[in-house]
Amino acid sequence: MTEEVAIIGVGYTAASPVTPEVSYREMIYEAAVKAYQDAHVKPKDIKSFVCLSEDFHEGTSIFDEYVPDQLGAVLKPVHTVTGDGIHGLIEATMHIQTGLMDVVAVEAHSKASNILTPFHIMAFATDPVYNQPLKMHPYYIAGLEMNRFLLETGNTREHCAMVVQKNRQNALDNPVAAYGAQVAPDDVLQSRPLFAPLSKLDTSLHADGAVVMVLASAKRARELSDHPIWVKGIGWCSDSPSLENRDWAQAVYARLAGDAAYRMAGIRNPREEIDLAEIDDTFSYKELQHMEALRLCREGEAGLLLEEGTADLDGDLPINPSGGTLGTGFLYEASGLYRVLELVLQLRGEAGKRQLAHVNTGLAFSWRGIPTTSGAAIVVSNN
Amino acid sequence: MGILEKVADNRETKAWYGDIPVQHLYTAGVAGERFLSEIRDNGKILGTLCEKCNFVYVPPMIYCERCFARLTEWVPVSHKGVVESFTVGYIDMDGKPLPEPRVMAVINLDGATSSLVHFLEEIEPDDITFGMEVEAVFRPKGERKGSILDISHFRPVG
Repeated sequence: MTEEVAIIGVGYTAASPVTPEVSYREMIYEAAVKAYQDAHVKPKDIKSFVCLSEDFHEGTSIFDEYVPDQLGAVLKPVHTVTGDGIHGLIEATMHIQTGLMDVVAVEAHSKASNILTPFHIMAFATDPVYNQPLKMHPYYIAGLEMNRFLLETGNTREHCAMVVQKNRQNALDNPVAAYGAQVAPDDVLQSRPLFAPLSKLDTSLHADGAVVMVLASAKRARELSDHPIWVKGIGWCSDSPSLENRDWAQAVYARLAGDAAYRMAGIRNPREEIDLAEIDDTFSYKELQHMEALRLCREGEAGLLLEEGTADLDGDLPINPSGGTLGTGFLYEASGLYRVLELVLQLRGEAGKRQLAHVNTGLAFSWRGIPTTSGAAIVVSNN
Repeated sequence: MGILEKVADNRETKAWYGDIPVQHLYTAGVAGERFLSEIRDNGKILGTLCEKCNFVYVPPMIYCERCFARLTEWVPVSHKGVVESFTVGYIDMDGKPLPEPRVMAVINLDGATSSLVHFLEEIEPDDITFGMEVEAVFRPKGERKGSILDISHFRPVG
């Protein structure tokens, strides 16, 4: 990276299936207060604010106007990116690299429990002329992709079930995660089919929560923080938006986003140089697909890594020690920030019962969800 | 804790119902207009060819998303093709069980590079295989509206 940038503060609420007691603003406020305290900054020290949201998820048009107050960003440079939280971290990193801003905050949240028609909104994101007339629950897209991915790679439904078992087990040790559980692979295989081969337990469940992160230039990071987590590489990419022209087996968007981040971080062999990874697992098969696309294993070998326990907490390359999205919950734009949050806690040595030994470099990767082919990657390190 | 006090009594939590008043028109466009009219009027499926990329777009586009060239060459593609992927759907948009499972498939029509996503019917889900040959079933001419649903579904050939 040309100008070094670090994450110097994180603030978050624990993900929860419902949060009737607080508004989205109060959730964000809570995360912001914690993040600013963690970063030893006050709102006046923050030069720019980057938020992530999508009008239809908020129930308000021009929602991006509703973010300054709960962040201490009134009368400050603030704008919204429509993407995942990691897209926001990338944006903040570039703000700092311009030299115009030395401290930048990023915010993403989910008040999913307030969305009464989530799958209508998701279907509304598909092509209005060619796809919407089919009037189907949009998970058909995951069912189609899962089936083709398993066929081409030789990974199996059993491997997908092992992802669910691992991530929901990991979530039991994560106080931030909403869906910790002991799930046997057979439970997954026998759970209700939604869009076969995709079953109910192959899918993540929604949760509410907010995350705020504070990033700073190298100079400010060293002044303010005892444990800065350095941004080493960033990358993001979108495949064709149309269902008709996309790759139905491989996550090409993840391959290219990951490669860009690795190149910037000087990583030649991700399998050896990445100590832990927090990657999108909105659906069980997505973790396997993203592992392969991100070169954490060879194509067709993701399931093998699960079988061998390589991706477990005590394995060589722990994947989603936080519990991932299957264990933490599906938090819309905030999903990626919960992935990065785990990296920050692990690399600081603050991950409690699930703390991994000897971890220095982590990868986070987010996917923007159905029906998109957009992904964002970030490599961070504690040295 | 960021907030001094929170509502701690379930009976006191409040929320307001709202909905979003949105109505739209969607313009099919130059390519979409011709594609949908041809299905409606002649029961034919057209694509556009990018010669440089050797890519036939179905539905057609007037530009190539790969090399960004303007596309002007229209080519008919077959109403038959092969199943690239399929899924058996059990739930409706609200998550409620469908009266009958519904199969959807990714279908690569002969002569096309793109693949259409549509319903696959007239076959038991257990009998579907990757690569099996299927064909488009068009609605009767008088019932066609210039929509992708003028193809009512696909079914196995023969």
